[in-house]
Amino acid sequence: MLYLSRPMSPRHPQSLASPAVIRPPTLRVLGTSITIIDPIVALAEADLGFKVEYEVLDFISCQRKAALEPGAYDVYDQCFHNLDIVWFWGALQPLDTWRLDKWDEVSDLTKRGRISRHGWQGHGDAPVKKLYVQPGDSLGSDPSRYISMLPTVHNLDSFGYDIGVFGSGNRNRESWAWLLDPRAKGRIALVDEPAIGIFDAALAAEASGAITFRDIGNLDVEEIDALMDLLEEKRQQGYFRAVWRDAEEARRLVLDGRTSVQSMWSPAYWGLGDADRRFVESVPVEGYRAWHGGISLSHHLSGRLLDMAYEYMNWWLSGRPGAVMARQGYYMSVAGTVRHALADDEWAYWYGGEEAIRDLPGPDGEIAVRAGSRRAGGSYWDRANRIAVWNTVMDEHNYAVRAWSRFVARVRADAS
Amino acid sequence: MIRSADKFTMPRRYELISSVIRNNILNGRLPPGFVLLEGPIASLTQSSRAPVQAALRILEQERLVRRFPGRGYLVARDGEAVEPLRRDIRELDLQISGEIDEALQNRGTWEMVYDAVEEAVASCLIFGEFRIIETELGAHLGVSRTVVRDVLSRLHESGLIRKNQSSHWIAGPLTAASVRNLFAIRAILEPAALRIAEPFIDYVEVDRVLRSLEAEGDDLEAEALDLVLMEACIARAPNPELVDAITRNRMPLIAANRALTRLGLPRDRIAMRDHASLFGLLAQKQIVPAAELLGRYLDMMAERSVARLKIVAIVSETSLIAPYLTPTQQN
Repeated sequence: MLYLSRPMSPRHPQSLASPAVIRPPTLRVLGTSITIIDPIVALAEADLGFKVEYEVLDFISCQRKAALEPGAYDVYDQCFHNLDIVWFWGALQPLDTWRLDKWDEVSDLTKRGRISRHGWQGHGDAPVKKLYVQPGDSLGSDPSRYISMLPTVHNLDSFGYDIGVFGSGNRNRESWAWLLDPRAKGRIALVDEPAIGIFDAALAAEASGAITFRDIGNLDVEEIDALMDLLEEKRQQGYFRAVWRDAEEARRLVLDGRTSVQSMWSPAYWGLGDADRRFVESVPVEGYRAWHGGISLSHHLSGRLLDMAYEYMNWWLSGRPGAVMARQGYYMSVAGTVRHALADDEWAYWYGGEEAIRDLPGPDGEIAVRAGSRRAGGSYWDRANRIAVWNTVMDEHNYAVRAWSRFVARVRADAS
Repeated sequence: MIRSADKFTMPRRYELISSVIRNNILNGRLPPGFVLLEGPIASLTQSSRAPVQAALRILEQERLVRRFPGRGYLVARDGEAVEPLRRDIRELDLQISGEIDEALQNRGTWEMVYDAVEEAVASCLIFGEFRIIETELGAHLGVSRTVVRDVLSRLHESGLIRKNQSSHWIAGPLTAASVRNLFAIRAILEPAALRIAEPFIDYVEVDRVLRSLEAEGDDLEAEALDLVLMEACIARAPNPELVDAITRNRMPLIAANRALTRLGLPRDRIAMRDHASLFGLLAQKQIVPAAELLGRYLDMMAERSVARLKIVAIVSETSLIAPYLTPTQQN
């Protein structure tokens, strides 16, 4: 599909027409601590022939800045569900797949919404629903040459829990319902990002039998009201200990022994020290809450900076950054290059779901995985086949965010 | 003759203005050839331009004035040859009856209050559900309870507020579901109105818009085009109840759209292009296909509006809400 209004043919690089640059140009990347961690910054410096300047914000601030200040960054690194806000604010420009080296190798999980025909069709917005630029600049799943965001890291999230409270040997019984379980009353935490935390809460409400949703990926106003009423009732009974906004805050809650069950992200499990023997990652019978990260271009970008941005995006799929991401438990949309960049035993553990035959390093080189351990949920393909819901900006997002914010403010007030 | 169409307050402003101009044409103070311009008439009658435009269109239908290849309207009957006479209307000693003068004055105060409240209420819909407290509204604007009640009655009539079970005035929330419902109603009513409006459509205005679309292209606002579509076409339907229902149904959508635009959301270029195609068909008097196209556009516009509404989630409402609007859900 060709869009005459956006000529970006690779045969006519726009850099030829741009004026001579005196200072070496710098690429400004706006993102979150999900992907922008020290080893990635160091690797970018080593691998790329230009300087990259990073700005790392929390989820909500990052999304807001991306939407409202597209002039303040060149490249935007966050998630597909953020496109509902950032793309529709007109802050981004389409990416030309002809300029993406590994586009053909990007997995079906991204391009089709399922990793295989046997995979569950997760509720909510799989990345494919926001991937392709449609005529009129809307986003949809009909393939076209131009895309909204280069798919990169992703994961299947669940919750973590204390085996001292819920017992060990729970495989095949772990349920999202535990996030509202009386056994953990007063020691429960949720992630505070409405497009994410509200689904952890909804999965818990549905699994516990309290509410049945028509479509858990797109709650209507009555369902949002019912969910928030339930959460408020539990809050008044003293169920919630805290809410958290990044992996470090989540880890801190476990280390301080303040929670018995909580929303968790993969990197929050390493660095738990001895706590990792009692605080374990669940494999919920209801399935995972999935998310997919990616990289987009600010609408102002052109010329040499645009070329650099494509170079930066191609670098992300080249293997080495994917290996760093694997060591914090995240998968890449192109797995083949990651396999070459990881040692065989690392690949076997992180993607293969096999037992670690030695202590394995995290992204910073410190030991993250003890020999003999095995990743909860098995291989990438086992886990990615069991998606219950995707992080989603639902139709009633504006309504949900305001209700969620009121709830979160009350939990924070309780905690302080 | 002044029609008392407004059961709550007083005659509509454009009726007062058309009455003033009509009387002065008939008594000869506005001579044949006089060029009537919106701006000076608005300033003379202390009103905005919209009611002046409406008044001039009424007089055009009455064949007391007509358009000509220049700005404004000529005081001239059909076929009457006249030379344009350009003078400031304020220099003429127009006769304005005491009754109308008073009505215009009262109307002025009342309308200023109404406009301010409508604007504030319209802006809050996208941020949730709000209660309007009558005493606070009166205190904030320095007006009597009678005026407050008139204003709220009119807002109720216009579809922006409702009463809840405790008899409190409530505005909002505008949700994805309510946006879809309002558009579904638009898609039923507006094409139907357009079809029966066919003999009454203001084709001169349609042509003018089409020409300016060709000349100015993307610089035109979809909202402005939508307004012309309503005033020159849909609202001409010979069924006042239908036109009223359409106007009421549109109100919250127009209000939300204005609020979104004020927040700095990008313009809806697709809506603009859609309107251009629609005006093309209207100009060719292809009313049935135009009505079908309008129905399809409204369905698509519903989905785009839902997408736009999501964006509002990142905007904090606190600084934008008038003090007499109280959120029904408190922290």
